Amino acid sequence: MTSVLHAERLTKRYGKHPGLVDADLDVPPGRVVGLVGPNGAGKSTLLGMTCGLIKPTSGTIDVLGSRPAANASQLAKVGFVAQDTPVYANLSVGDHLKLGAHLNKTWDNKLAERRIKQVGLDLSQKAGRLSGGQRAQLALTVAAAKRPELLIFDEPVAALDPLARHQFLQNLMEFVSELAVTVVLSSHILADLERVCDYLILLAGSRVQLAGNVDVIINEHYRLFGSVSDLQNLPAEFEVIRAERTGSRSSVVVRQTGARSVAALFPQAERLDLEEMILAYMVRANEGSGDLNNVYSLSTEARR
Amino acid sequence: MIWLTWRQFRGQFLASIALLTALTAYLIYVGYTIRNAYNTDILGCLPANGCELDKVKDLFIQDHRSMVTIPAIVLIAVPAIIGVFWGGPLITRELETNTHRLVWNQTVTRTHWLAVKLAIVGLIAMVVTGALSLVLTWAASRYDQLIGSRFDPLSFASRNVAPIGYVIFAFVLGTTVGLFLRRTVNAMAVTLLLVGVIQLFIPTIARPYLRPPVTQSVAYDAAVREQGGILSINRDAPMAVTGYAVPGALMLTDHEDLLTSSGQKAGAETVQDCTGTQGQAPQQQANGLDQLENCVAQHNLHFSIRLQPPSRYWSFQWIEFAAFLILGGLLSGLAFWQIRRVRG
Repeated sequence: MTSVLHAERLTKRYGKHPGLVDADLDVPPGRVVGLVGPNGAGKSTLLGMTCGLIKPTSGTIDVLGSRPAANASQLAKVGFVAQDTPVYANLSVGDHLKLGAHLNKTWDNKLAERRIKQVGLDLSQKAGRLSGGQRAQLALTVAAAKRPELLIFDEPVAALDPLARHQFLQNLMEFVSELAVTVVLSSHILADLERVCDYLILLAGSRVQLAGNVDVIINEHYRLFGSVSDLQNLPAEFEVIRAERTGSRSSVVVRQTGARSVAALFPQAERLDLEEMILAYMVRANEGSGDLNNVYSLSTEARR
Repeated sequence: MIWLTWRQFRGQFLASIALLTALTAYLIYVGYTIRNAYNTDILGCLPANGCELDKVKDLFIQDHRSMVTIPAIVLIAVPAIIGVFWGGPLITRELETNTHRLVWNQTVTRTHWLAVKLAIVGLIAMVVTGALSLVLTWAASRYDQLIGSRFDPLSFASRNVAPIGYVIFAFVLGTTVGLFLRRTVNAMAVTLLLVGVIQLFIPTIARPYLRPPVTQSVAYDAAVREQGGILSINRDAPMAVTGYAVPGALMLTDHEDLLTSSGQKAGAETVQDCTGTQGQAPQQQANGLDQLENCVAQHNLHFSIRLQPPSRYWSFQWIEFAAFLILGGLLSGLAFWQIRRVRG
């Protein structure tokens, strides 16, 4: 099956400022993809290029087998809900459904009307008068009722209160199971996505730090404890993500990249939860990769 | 896409229709008023009853000038208004409220989206302006006929087909400027400035040269004065005629030197016998001037004028209409090029 999203050395620069640099991605279909990263990491840039709103500076991106927004049939396959869920303030909820029906051959009006009823929106209400949560629901409905194969949300819950956030994600998950679509969601808060996504892309410093199935990633990362000298010369297939030192003791977050199991070599190694893991990557990105703590310069050397 | 464009534009359209209806009603009133006045005052002016037609004509023109001029000024402003308020915000409003991110992700390409918007709103702009121009042309027709200067800048730009060309150009200009500037207020200001400059530039710099002007040689005789030509004799400069105008023509020359039959510039000394002592300034009394002119007319002098003859009025109307339509087309090409490059 063709990948939903395939990117090679995908780069976008805004003048001198990098938006996203050398991203290599290959997302299989049928996933709920969480795109996580701090503000300014390049999440919106990546999503903008995925739906074709932004043209890459260099590199390639293919979505469902062709260039994003290349033509109408490609546009039909991708649903996009932009940041802050824009809607036409002076059009009513019903007008937005008509908009969807007029602008999409694949429009599923039954689905749209059912959903609007389900979330309790009034068809005659002006979209400009909706609350943030209602607006997000409307935007979700418009994007989903065109029955895309890929549904993209840029920070859909950032502006919502916890209850609306919960409801939105719940509705979204109902959709996903009903429509069998691939979903990409971005957020700068992992907790928003942790419950729903089974594939993770971590962006920091305009680069992809980590991408893969959540269960695979979880199994690859460990925290090791030991004396500084114990952890100085790790095997090459253990990629050091982050190292911390307290006195002569230290803890290291490693990723197992080869066949040799970390658990076999270090029986006391601990699994990390997603949040700790992401934090480790973000700290590394912040310090600049390869420029680790002095103590572990040797192990860094070893990896090269 | 047609539905959405119409739905978004509906409010503005209905407001313009309301304004258009009010203006049309006023112009129909003006049209009938002018026609009635024309029938009774002008056609009813019989010299046998001691009526002086020239005076009545002047009075008629004076009475109806503002009635015709004010709607003409409004019509001249229409392209700027439509360019600024319809064209400028057409795209920028979407960019500013981020709704382009909603609409560009429906099953409609940006190019298609822009094409429908330009076509529908542009067409409405042309129809509205055309209707207004048509009604004004009808309402002012008797007045225009009496004045007889259809090439007058205000009259030319507010009658017949030329305004339709201006408005489509101004609308596409506003849209295109908006696509480049991305900000509504900036787009509106720049559009207003550009349309204003262009409207100033057409009658002064462009229109006189749209077709190669005709050069005519006019003999200096009594008829010259009737056409507004005033003789000027100065000690140091050649004699000249100023203000001579062919009725209904677009004059390119206003001050023409008088020439002798051999083509030499005629100085004051040529007509010494008329002015008396050489170099002495001519007498300024009205009677004396008539005498002087009659005397100068005996000297077989002529001057040459350049003009666009009245018969070219319609060709000029169509040239400006077509030129602005084509300019609008070129600008929309630029807009289609730019919309692919706009960052979502």
